[in-house]
Amino acid sequence: MNTQPKPDATLFLASSVHDMKNSISVMLGSVQRFLAQAGPEQTEFHRDMAQMLYEIQLINGNLIQLLTLYKLGNDLYPFNAETQEIAEFAHTAVSHVQPLLNSRGIRIELDLEENCYWEFDGDLVNGIIVNAMNNAANYTRSTIHLGVATVAGALEIRVEDDGSGFPQRMLDEGLAAMRGVDFSTGSTGLGLYFAAVSARLHRNRQEEGSIRLENGGRLGGGCFIVRLP
Amino acid sequence: MSVTDDNKLIANSNYLVVDDFPGMRGTLSMVLRNCGVNPKNIDTASNGSEAIKTLSRKKYDVVLCDFNLGDGKTGAHVLEEAKYRSLIGPSCCWIMVTAEKTTDTVMGSAESQPDAYLIKPVTEAILISRLQKIRAKKESFIEIDRAIAGRDYLQAIQLCDERAINDKANAIELLRVKCDLLTRTGQSDKARATYENVLASRDVPWAQLGLARIHMLDEDFESAAGLLEQLVDNNRSYLEAYDYLAEAHQALGQNDKAEATLERALALSPNSHVRQRAMGDLSLKTGKLDRAEKAFRKTVTLAEHSVRKSPEAYLGLAKTVSAKSNPQEALNVLEQMNKKFSGEEVRLKGKSVEGLIYHQSGNAEKAKEVAQELSSMLESSSTRIDSAAKREMAELLLATGEHEKGLALLQAEVMNNPEDKANLAAVREIFRKTGFEDQGAVLVEASRKEAMDMMNAGTLLAKEGDFAQAIDKLRSALEKMPANVRLLLNSAHIMITYMEKSGANADLINEVRRNLLTANQLAPAEQRFLLLMNRLKVLE
Repeated sequence: MNTQPKPDATLFLASSVHDMKNSISVMLGSVQRFLAQAGPEQTEFHRDMAQMLYEIQLINGNLIQLLTLYKLGNDLYPFNAETQEIAEFAHTAVSHVQPLLNSRGIRIELDLEENCYWEFDGDLVNGIIVNAMNNAANYTRSTIHLGVATVAGALEIRVEDDGSGFPQRMLDEGLAAMRGVDFSTGSTGLGLYFAAVSARLHRNRQEEGSIRLENGGRLGGGCFIVRLP
Repeated sequence: MSVTDDNKLIANSNYLVVDDFPGMRGTLSMVLRNCGVNPKNIDTASNGSEAIKTLSRKKYDVVLCDFNLGDGKTGAHVLEEAKYRSLIGPSCCWIMVTAEKTTDTVMGSAESQPDAYLIKPVTEAILISRLQKIRAKKESFIEIDRAIAGRDYLQAIQLCDERAINDKANAIELLRVKCDLLTRTGQSDKARATYENVLASRDVPWAQLGLARIHMLDEDFESAAGLLEQLVDNNRSYLEAYDYLAEAHQALGQNDKAEATLERALALSPNSHVRQRAMGDLSLKTGKLDRAEKAFRKTVTLAEHSVRKSPEAYLGLAKTVSAKSNPQEALNVLEQMNKKFSGEEVRLKGKSVEGLIYHQSGNAEKAKEVAQELSSMLESSSTRIDSAAKREMAELLLATGEHEKGLALLQAEVMNNPEDKANLAAVREIFRKTGFEDQGAVLVEASRKEAMDMMNAGTLLAKEGDFAQAIDKLRSALEKMPANVRLLLNSAHIMITYMEKSGANADLINEVRRNLLTANQLAPAEQRFLLLMNRLKVLE
């Protein structure tokens, strides 16, 4: 009988992230430098670099999501809700995706409630929104709309696009993810699951945060909505 | 401040980048250059010691420091030491750069809290927005911090209120600081009302913790434990709450629960030397010596690189090893401690534990010799030592035949705290253990009465209008009981009343302030402190 313990990758998940993050940081820095030196935005080199930047950010995003889920599963995630100024929070989130949007000629449209402050874990919600905007960039035709407003005692963040909207299958699977059902098909699985779990951590007065997917909205395409009590 | 002014400020500041990985140093420097910073204003350091050297040579406006610096010091250690040695001023922005968000990095001790954490990768937009946010916050808090540093708590509370009106971004933090100050100055009623007000509109963990702390100050440990249990269930990574919960459990005599609570917190964050020490203390108390030894050893290792390391872990370890019948090893631990720490308090406590080790191992002759040394050291010392250590010293003196000195020590403890029931009980227990039960009971009662009489004598004279004599009496009473909180406050009240009647004088004002601050340190929950400070302020 085999008495050797089974290999356990989770042991190394947390410890190897330090090195991976350093590598990602250096790659990101280099690509940004190439982009800055690349000249006009229409060249093929510029487009390639922008694509590379996007891929690096995708790896970074996935890494954070995996690690966060691992920590949440073991009660190790240091959840801390702090007062965020909405305009500043939104602009910082947009700065993550701006180079990608520029290279693809996608317009970003902001509609932010003025003088609005809300309590939430800035890192988690930033992760959700950046992921949603990256996703929208792949499906939109020309514009992404980021709207933040207080609605019925909760903060609602909407990422909308003018693409052809979510297919019915995704709307259904999205609902499944929000209920915490484990499904593992395609890359949208991790992102939505992470978003649902992270939103749910935000609790106030018996109410918990949630996400939902819709079609329509201002631009007539897909809408990704986070609601934080 | 306009955006252009902000950008100019960012471009014209001095920066230090601390990272063990050359590629990261290069990347962070590049991010700074892209923000408009002149390369001449960017210095780098590759480890903790180098960072400390660099910081002591030059003043930096911003420090970007990786949390994980390879072997030796972590970023938290560097920050702690830089603050402790005043290598950075209050206006310095310290940003900790981390690969990931962990309980260790985010929930560390207050002393080692940076102005912000940034998770890699750091981009220009994020850095600029974070620096602007930090600057705005510093601007909001600079006067408050100054008032707190000058112990002008009333002014600090007033400033919190004024600032909160227009500063929505920091309103919550201002409220939190204000509540903390209210609790610290004995106004727990107001603090409680504010916490309840906050909680009426939102479930806010810090307000729940604040309420629990007030219950603890009121010695309502039952309610505190209930609140805290709920708090950690809903906020599993709120380490501070675990620490208070363990304290509440101990106060209720529920040592098993306290152990379980500390264990949960240590599983989340095993690298806090303060928490490891709490575990060591508790395990030593409950006689779980193996675990105590493990916790104390870990404390010593963890605190190695910290400027705030304390000799207590060594003392605890020595006591534990001695209780495990290993006197030679225990003496070695003390020797290590004496090499690492200096100061009268350490020497006195070390001597006391040394005597205990000999006593426990049955070496009566050597124990007596050490006790005599301790006795003459105490004779010439004026260092204030905590009650628990004092009682240990007295126990050693009584057990080794140094009766007179042992009795005198315990008498002083009783007179300083004549109304503290837990202290009186602990003193009686020592008398019982050392075979002085009857004599001790008489002495405790006599000392308690003498203290109360001396405290009342001054008050009576003042009531009769003889302030000169009253103040004389109070001063000689304070000489005998320098840590008696009620006496400190009574004397302040009488001296202030005297000045209100016949004019202020600077020396007396200073004397009163000193006494009040001592009382506040000894008993933070005492309500009269702030009222008296208020009256003193009018006289200045």
